[in-house]
Amino acid sequence: MVHSHRRARVAIAALLAGAAASTAATAAARTTPPTAPSTAGTATAGTAVGSATAYADPMTNFVPDQGAKPVDCKPKDGPLKAAWVYIGPINDGGWTQAHDVGRQEVQAALGDQVVTTYKENVPEGPQVAQVLEDLIKDGNTLIFGTSFGFQDAFIDVAAKHPNVCFDFATGYKTAANVGQFYGRGEDTDYLTGMAAGAATKAGKVGYVAPFPIPEVIRGINSYALGVQATHPGATLQVVWTNTWFDPAKERAAAESLIAAGVDVVASGQDSPASGEAAKAKGLPWTGYDSDQSANFPDIWLTATNYHWGAYETARAKAVLDGTWVPGNYYGGIADGFARLAPFGKLVSADTQAKILAKQAELSAKPGSHLTGPIKDQSGKERVPAGQQISFEDLMSMNYFVEGVIGEIPSS
Amino acid sequence: MRSPLRFERRLRQPKWLSLAVPAGSLLAALVLGAVVLLVTGRNPLSTYHRILERAFASQSSLSGTLISATPLAFTGLCAAVAFRMGIINIGGEGQLFGGAILASWAGIALGDQPVWIVLVAMLAAGAVGGMTVALIAGVLRARFGANEIITTLMLNYIVAIFLDYLIFNSKSYWREPKSFGFPKGKQVGPAAFWSPITIGHTAIPRGFIVAVLAGVVVSVLYRTTRFGFEVAVIADSPGTARYAGMRTTRKIIAVMALSGALAGLGGASDVGDFRHVLDAKGLQLAGYGYTGIVVAALARLNPLGTVLVAVLIGGLTNAGYALQGPDFPSGLVGALQGLILFTAVAGEVLVRYRVRRAVPAPVSAAAAGPPTPPVRAGA
Repeated sequence: MVHSHRRARVAIAALLAGAAASTAATAAARTTPPTAPSTAGTATAGTAVGSATAYADPMTNFVPDQGAKPVDCKPKDGPLKAAWVYIGPINDGGWTQAHDVGRQEVQAALGDQVVTTYKENVPEGPQVAQVLEDLIKDGNTLIFGTSFGFQDAFIDVAAKHPNVCFDFATGYKTAANVGQFYGRGEDTDYLTGMAAGAATKAGKVGYVAPFPIPEVIRGINSYALGVQATHPGATLQVVWTNTWFDPAKERAAAESLIAAGVDVVASGQDSPASGEAAKAKGLPWTGYDSDQSANFPDIWLTATNYHWGAYETARAKAVLDGTWVPGNYYGGIADGFARLAPFGKLVSADTQAKILAKQAELSAKPGSHLTGPIKDQSGKERVPAGQQISFEDLMSMNYFVEGVIGEIPSS
Repeated sequence: MRSPLRFERRLRQPKWLSLAVPAGSLLAALVLGAVVLLVTGRNPLSTYHRILERAFASQSSLSGTLISATPLAFTGLCAAVAFRMGIINIGGEGQLFGGAILASWAGIALGDQPVWIVLVAMLAAGAVGGMTVALIAGVLRARFGANEIITTLMLNYIVAIFLDYLIFNSKSYWREPKSFGFPKGKQVGPAAFWSPITIGHTAIPRGFIVAVLAGVVVSVLYRTTRFGFEVAVIADSPGTARYAGMRTTRKIIAVMALSGALAGLGGASDVGDFRHVLDAKGLQLAGYGYTGIVVAALARLNPLGTVLVAVLIGGLTNAGYALQGPDFPSGLVGALQGLILFTAVAGEVLVRYRVRRAVPAPVSAAAAGPPTPPVRAGA
């Protein structure tokens, strides 16, 4: 319950941030189409929004824990040592790579005030605590965790080291020296779904999904609604892999979807392996968490990309200033956390314009694509007409919306 | 071209060799590793110092090493006891899962009983779980001659999918009903947490002590009992064993049961010592069963050696995490670990073969035959 209250406060902060940002003078820059929509549209660097300065301050989306006191995790002498713990390899072409880009941004932003390091391929299990103890022994006093399964080890080790600050991505537990951070991937998932909906001819899109947890489910639902926005009546078929990163499994799952007749493939996984399956059949593909436009030029549509660096830089600065407090960060489009990858050539100018218009709207009103009436698979109304889904419901979403084919295994 | 060197099988394996060769292998690995490190612009001495420090040299690092070593000791023993009879049990993975499933059931069901009762119950349940999985392949092999390499390997996948089913796809006894939407295992009761035994500042997992005891028991069993003798005969020549009236069918089943039970104990230790839940995902990512085969092979299937090698590999694993970072890619860590393992296996050849300079061959058609006879792989 404490947890939901915290989340609720995050929601308010996120809404305020969105509103504040939308009135800011920079709004124009943020909401202007980044790349002029063009049918040739060879997707290049410049992503969906302009320069980083156009984004809102990430800390506007941060809600400190109630009564939280600043933690002194400043280094006694020398630069701040900060470490990242990854579940996958830093070149996984997805989740871990995006996190490592964040690390490099922190290093670049703070220069010689900080020395960053990382540990990759750390399996969930008894070794996590060992890796953390090693990092602390090496003098790291700010440690970022990036996989849900590390959470309990982080909480345990944090309790033993009150003068080390821990920031954890995608979990839900905070403590005196543990904060949580994540953001509105679902907003850009909706936009990605719009591109998929425009691309499907058969009205059947397939989604390779990792775990049946709220974080993934709200992404799938948002994606499905996006598909239906550009292709009314289209369906989204879901296959679970029960893994974040397993290229062989991801590819096999995509192949099973293609065999079932989908003509657009979507990835919710850490690797781009499902894209290989789509490429073999020449089917349009949306990625997840990395810009794969260069590797899949012929089938690429777009993808949700996360940018962790701004928040992490702010947190590292807070450590240096002695103002680090535990709390929850929930970023969005407005502060540049969730961004759309460059469009591929299969996305028409018309569709690009539609998506960018919607992006401007979601930047100003985060999460507004989940406004009722929203029915679940059984036709039961879950969000009443005219109302936006509450933040608590968003965080605990455990049903599929209409048009999704697939099951949430006994949630 | 004729090779200037030839390998001759040693008639006798001098005792000093079995000490000198591993030491020489390690030295060779360090030298080769130093070359790799120097070429990539790193200081070998400070790198080796760090490996030593983070793997073995401090009490807290030794504790960490034992954590990594414990499951490998069990899966190593699992492989060793089967391989010694020529039964290629690749199923340590699935058998460990089987042990973890039953042991976590015991831990959840009896979690408020006295600590020792729960410990024994979890060990027994783990052994039964591993044994059950192994016996499927064991009986198929013993009764129908089904290739155990294939059946044990396939069972790994089947048990893994069953694990996924228990945690992700059903409301099973093992699944935590309230876990914020993320499917995960139910925690075992408080008495089912095996608190480590602390000597000085080194925490020794109870499972590790069980592994050492298991190593001693297997060692005695294979060295001194009739059972062990028969296993050795069957390994050398199943036909001879049958003529001598040994019951090979029963022996295969017994060895598979023992092998599976050892992996199953590893599953119990995973739940009791470390995770305290049935961690479907984590167990599959860890790959203990497959690493255990490497451990057993490095130890030349010697049970106590297996436990020792598990500690070495556990240390290398932990040191590997300590080494890697932006300036030290994990690929290089893997290369160093690989070099050490490779030279260890390669050195093995020298224990059984001696290297001779080839005798200058008389120029005749007879001598131009096949060059050096191929080195036979170790039995």
